[in-house]
Amino acid sequence: MTEAAISVQGLRYSYGDLEAVKGISFDVAPGEILGFLGPNGAGKSTTIKMLTGQLPPSGGSATVLGYDVGTGSSQMQARIGVCFEEKNLYVTMSAKENLEFFASLYGIKNPDADGVLRRVGLADRATDRVKTFSKGMRQRMMISRAFINTPDVLFLDEPTDGLDPTTAAAIRTTIQEEADRGVAVLLTTHDMFEADQLSDRVAFINGGEIVALDTPENLKLAYGSRSVKVRLRDGDGVREENLPLDDGSASARLAELATSPALLTMHTEEATLEHIFIQLTGRGLAG
Amino acid sequence: MSLSRIWVILRKDLALGPRSPIFLYAVALPVVLTAIFQLAFGSLFDPEPRMAVVDDGASQITSSLRELEGVELTVLDSAEALRQGVEANDHDVGLVLPAGFDDAVRAGQEPPLEMYVSGGSLAADRMILSVTTIDLIRAVEGGAPPVDVELVQTGDAGLPISVRLVPVLVMYALFVAGTFVPASSIVDEKIRGTLTAILVTPARVSEVLAAKASLGVLLAFLMSVVTLLLNGAVGSSWAHLLVVVLLGATFTALLGLLIGTVAKDGATLFTIVKSSGILIFGPVIFYLFPEWPQWIARLFPTYWVIDPIWRVAVLGEGLADVWVPMVVAVGLGGLLVLLVRRLSGRMLARATAAS
Repeated sequence: MTEAAISVQGLRYSYGDLEAVKGISFDVAPGEILGFLGPNGAGKSTTIKMLTGQLPPSGGSATVLGYDVGTGSSQMQARIGVCFEEKNLYVTMSAKENLEFFASLYGIKNPDADGVLRRVGLADRATDRVKTFSKGMRQRMMISRAFINTPDVLFLDEPTDGLDPTTAAAIRTTIQEEADRGVAVLLTTHDMFEADQLSDRVAFINGGEIVALDTPENLKLAYGSRSVKVRLRDGDGVREENLPLDDGSASARLAELATSPALLTMHTEEATLEHIFIQLTGRGLAG
Repeated sequence: MSLSRIWVILRKDLALGPRSPIFLYAVALPVVLTAIFQLAFGSLFDPEPRMAVVDDGASQITSSLRELEGVELTVLDSAEALRQGVEANDHDVGLVLPAGFDDAVRAGQEPPLEMYVSGGSLAADRMILSVTTIDLIRAVEGGAPPVDVELVQTGDAGLPISVRLVPVLVMYALFVAGTFVPASSIVDEKIRGTLTAILVTPARVSEVLAAKASLGVLLAFLMSVVTLLLNGAVGSSWAHLLVVVLLGATFTALLGLLIGTVAKDGATLFTIVKSSGILIFGPVIFYLFPEWPQWIARLFPTYWVIDPIWRVAVLGEGLADVWVPMVVAVGLGGLLVLLVRRLSGRMLARATAAS
């Protein structure tokens, strides 16, 4: 069995009296993308801070690439890449200068800054100062900085936040490419489509606890319900009907509608991760 | 701790320096203040009266002029070159001493003496050089002066204000470059979140602080030496001067680290800097007012770094004379190191929690 790139056992963290992370456990295998989903204040960022060596855990244990995050953070940090939600770049430095500076901190002599910038579509702005960049370009810079040391583990906090759909799709492709070359990815996002599309597994975190952890498909099977939404002509207007598919009770009605001249459209409805999260926690992801 | 990572961070800060208003302020301030004070009060740079001499007969007057302090002497080969030099105001006064001039004076003759005065010279310099020349001729003659001059000093003995301002200027250079630059650099990294970005690489917080301290020491050292040079206050030994300035630069840089680690944002930084101003600049005020009880200055921590600089750079003393304040300064510096080490962990936690 492949050793987990990230292994977390009973991890805890408290800010004074407030317990932000309450003994969570999970693993991320090399090449796996784990979506870490939860509303603001759920404990996602605190967990990432502990795993990246920024905060010492209050309890439990965690290893990244076999290094204890509490004691071996320097060696571990040499092999991870972190993309923060906050755009913490040196805005008076150029894109290339930013990457070369951070590469130097990893001891990389001749970093391929141009190559990394090319991957995120910023090659033509390599020598421009970051302060001239749009929000989306800064976000791409954040991604490129996380890639500069060719990490074995990536921590990505809202990596496509603020990007247009085309650029976001390109970034998702890049993240998938990293996972394909064996990089373990811990991805936090509010974008359910992104989590669903990218994640091999998702963990729902709420109130400092993981309330569900499985593949998106399994979660949908376990917690979601399938239905068919039909739109019918009704006199001069249109009406909708939702027919559940899981209990077989709507089979006759579906057969009837299929041949009805009043039928306008018929769509299958799947449970979304957000619906499942609300079902599990009673609160939405955005809050 | 990795020296290469400290150098990487320092190199980045030095590269970003010219793009930072505070960095530029630190470089420009001592120079601008020196210029203002020199204009207002004069300075050690005030030029000495400049005398040019053409001596065709190895006159005693020329050798006496050579031994005089406070007169800049130039010996030329020809009267024509002397006239041109005086006309161009390269010399305030020019003197052509013909061969046999001294013998003629001693013989009681009245030999002609060509003396040229530059139209651009200061009246005070003309007066000094004229009176000096007459005194020297009288010395050659061997006669007694017609009057006895008794010097009576009025007012308190002491150094001119231009000299007593030197500690103020050096303290400014040390404080802005050594304390304010690293402190604001640390706070800026905290505010922008770049400190967090650095600390998820193999770089340690101690390496970041070492780089910021090096930035402060380097800049404060350079600007203090420049300030002392501009004010002509370089003492009698360059080596001793550089040691005391390095001590001052290190102390103020450590103070900058302390302020940088304590201040959580720009507003806090400026509040601390403003409120600590009297503590930092307190002792230099006492150099301006020597009639005040000087022991009070010793109550201020910065006295122990500015006093060795004052005594070595201005009074011309050596390290052997200033070892006591230097030892106190080293002790206070050690205390600052301990405080910074203690507070850096808290700073890291706060910066991480805020990001």
